[in-house]
Amino acid sequence: MSLKKISFFLNGEAKDVYANPGDMLVDVIRDKLGLLGTKVGCKTGGCGACTVMLDGLAVNSCMIPVGKVAGKSVVTIEGVAENNELHPIQEAMMEDGAVQCGYCTPGIIVSAKALFDENPNPDSEDIHRALEGNICRCTGYIKVEEAIVKAASNIRKEG
Amino acid sequence: MNDYKSIGKRVMRRDAREKVLGEAKFTCDVYLPGMLHAKVLRSTLPHARIKSIDTTKAEALPGVRAVLTYKNTIDTLYNQAAALMEIAEGQTLVMDQKIFDNVVRFVGDEVAAVAADTVEIAEAAIKLIDVEYEPLPFYIDPLDAEKQDTVNIHADKLHLQSAHNVPGDPSHIKKGDIEKGFAESDEIVEVKFKIAPVKQMQMETHSAVASLEDDRITVYCSTQNVQVVRGQLAHIFKIPMSRITVKNPPYVGGGFGIRIGLSGKAEVIAIALALAAKKPVKYIYSRKEDLIASETRHGGYVSVRLGAKKDGTLTALEMKSILNKGAYTSHGGAIHGTLGVMNTSLYRIPNIDYYGYSVYTNTTPAGAMRGYGNPQGNMTVNRAVDMMAKRLGIDPLEMRRKNATGKGDEYMLPYPCTSSTLAGCMELGAKEIHWDKRAEYNLEKGRVRRGMGMGIGTHFSGGHPFVLDYENAFITVQADGSVSVATAASDIGTGCNTSLAQIAAEALNVPLKKVYLTYADTSSTPYGYGSHSSRSVFMHGNAIVEAAKNVKAQILEYAASLAGIESSDLEIVDGIIRTIDSSRRFPKNIYARRIFLDQEFTPLGDEEFYSSITFTELAHYAHSQEKQFMGLGSINNTNAPPWYCSFADVSVDMDTGRITLNNFVGVHDVGTVINPDCVEGQINGGNLQGIGYALGEALTYDERTGIQYVNEIQQYMQPTIMGTPDMGAYYVEEKEPNGPFGAKGLGETPCISPVAAIVNAVCNALDIDDDDIKVPLTPQVVLDMIKKNS
Ligand code: FES
Ligand code: FES
Repeated sequence: MSLKKISFFLNGEAKDVYANPGDMLVDVIRDKLGLLGTKVGCKTGGCGACTVMLDGLAVNSCMIPVGKVAGKSVVTIEGVAENNELHPIQEAMMEDGAVQCGYCTPGIIVSAKALFDENPNPDSEDIHRALEGNICRCTGYIKVEEAIVKAASNIRKEG
Repeated sequence: MNDYKSIGKRVMRRDAREKVLGEAKFTCDVYLPGMLHAKVLRSTLPHARIKSIDTTKAEALPGVRAVLTYKNTIDTLYNQAAALMEIAEGQTLVMDQKIFDNVVRFVGDEVAAVAADTVEIAEAAIKLIDVEYEPLPFYIDPLDAEKQDTVNIHADKLHLQSAHNVPGDPSHIKKGDIEKGFAESDEIVEVKFKIAPVKQMQMETHSAVASLEDDRITVYCSTQNVQVVRGQLAHIFKIPMSRITVKNPPYVGGGFGIRIGLSGKAEVIAIALALAAKKPVKYIYSRKEDLIASETRHGGYVSVRLGAKKDGTLTALEMKSILNKGAYTSHGGAIHGTLGVMNTSLYRIPNIDYYGYSVYTNTTPAGAMRGYGNPQGNMTVNRAVDMMAKRLGIDPLEMRRKNATGKGDEYMLPYPCTSSTLAGCMELGAKEIHWDKRAEYNLEKGRVRRGMGMGIGTHFSGGHPFVLDYENAFITVQADGSVSVATAASDIGTGCNTSLAQIAAEALNVPLKKVYLTYADTSSTPYGYGSHSSRSVFMHGNAIVEAAKNVKAQILEYAASLAGIESSDLEIVDGIIRTIDSSRRFPKNIYARRIFLDQEFTPLGDEEFYSSITFTELAHYAHSQEKQFMGLGSINNTNAPPWYCSFADVSVDMDTGRITLNNFVGVHDVGTVINPDCVEGQINGGNLQGIGYALGEALTYDERTGIQYVNEIQQYMQPTIMGTPDMGAYYVEEKEPNGPFGAKGLGETPCISPVAAIVNAVCNALDIDDDDIKVPLTPQVVLDMIKKNS
């Protein structure tokens, strides 16, 4: 295992890490960079708990070798709230009781943010497609979807 | 319904902000200086004796700090379920597990563990361990394992078996005269269910981080009850409970029963390795380990015979269950006991006979999952009731109106039916699902058939008197008047860290923001049973109410002594102690020192006496007189039955066997609702788990090798947002006399009756009386049903 210097943008900041290019992004984010909000539920790309944004797209960071993110931009749950202001989806999830155990929550919020960034006016099918890879075993997705709908409408009002 | 200030309000969960920011700490987020990482070598055979095991190569790998096998690990027999701390004197306590044994009993059983500097080194070391096995015969199906000519899976513990491969005692529940009951009936229906084992699929896998400090062991972990784990660890490692600290960090990524007691072997392996390596050790189960080697819901066989008179009066219920225990007992008899006692209590039936037991097999151990044996019986009895209704030409809803157990009725549960709004729940559910359209839907006779079904149920709000179940809480009023509440609950996602604070605030009549809850930590809470058995709000809440009474009496007495009156002349309103008649009694000197400037103060004028004093002022004055208010609350010997019903509206494609859930409604009697958001969240999540159970979730085995087919999350059919139907979560409130402010259990109930409702709806759509049903209802199962009944 030879460590390589890999540079990318993490939550808007330039970062250099020394890692094996084959190490999974989620491990680098958590173990090397100390950002613990991104969670691991399976490491096989099947649960969405590790979702981050890679150049604007929601991806499972347990499936992305860190070598592949060189020069790209990664946004984790820690980068969703900007300037100490919660993102509308964070507000809505809090207010609408869409957070239960919270283990899936960072992944769901990042998936929702990626959706809003691309489409501030999602219909229910768009929401389902964007969230399909995020398993939540606590909420039955009902309040999660309500929160996403509410956040979308708040974003439109603000925008 | 009431004029409560905190109870019943949509209070935002206290952990919501941390969780949406990604700041909430789970066990995986605990990193300690010098911490090592653990990996476990698991058996590749379903049943075998270890002939030899060689760890020398693993030990020689640089970075490896400890390697453990059955040869060098403490060999205490134990039970990983809460049983050890829950089984009352006189009941059979089955302890049939060791950390490592020289016999492996399922594919995935623990053989060895390594602690190393990195995860990668630990993984590499595991591969360097050589094991030679002597294979033994193995059994996947309980009906095979119970045959007398099979090998005993725990041959060295025959004294703990009531029959061949049957650990612990069977359950036998009897009432009246079953033969007479059938003789008096006009119609008899019979139905058998074959039910697949399923997984909790909590999003956080079992986890533990153990460390040694001075002469203490501290372990952060994902358990649902820290105090119980502390007792188990004391037994296993032969260390006094007082030297062990167990805590959640404080969050747990779901539970659903999978860690009532130890989190699988996460705690014991992390501690054993930490003791061997003299360093902190972290052990996190992979999802594969979760799927193949952490406990499941029991699969098995349940059958029912039901008798009724022409007018629909039920006369006799005979029920039998044979469950698959898997390789180790864990929760043992309590599961088939719950299955029987709950489902012989749903309907008023004078003659009852239930017999149930669980059989060891060489499959993943079955333990507790949300509902605890209840769903397996619930689907069977509710199916039989629908078959009977059809036979008699009575609407299934009407059948239940006529026969469902109600408040004050005698039933088989060992605590009285002190409250029930089931009748109201059924009416509301029928309205929401549009039950009146059922007959019209049944007229559709094309490729897609539509039908409706329902199921009802009950449960418990704690373990009493099935197992030991008592609870404690401390309340301390700090010198600034803020209130610390300590109780050993775990918040596994239910929101009890908020609802218990609401209960404390209401009981003391102080603003909610003044109350802080300390929980999930053995070093700062009294003994208690934590979060399982739908008991968190009911038992921890009751203990908190008692502690609040205790501390309130101290406060009022002290205030009365300062005012020179009786404590009955005072009241507490919104955190202010005041004279009931508004007379000015509190002398000005007690308000003198004001240092906690952000707290509430009484406006003072020139008068010498005042009619009220704030919590802050009184607590601080008491502090200046070297006194603190500390309340203790204890509760035992209580329980209460929650009630509920589920309604399903389904379409079945006759060509593909695919079921579409058009609508699903769950209505619950939870007593008083403490926090509507938490209650609705529990109902929605539980309903979807029940729906997954009905439609696709299953663990399956290769019969030739004993290997689990499902070993990745992608192979398990838990619902995604795509597969989620329209679901409605409703409740009908009534105060439960034994509950804190009238609340009773809810955690488990939403996932119990959905399968019954869906199976009944599918049979209604297909217009069949299938008496041999397989769950889950996969498209293939449905096609078989159609074929068999055409
Ligand atoms: S941890 Fe990456 S998808 Fe599950
Ligand atoms: S809130 Fe627990 S898994 Fe989603």
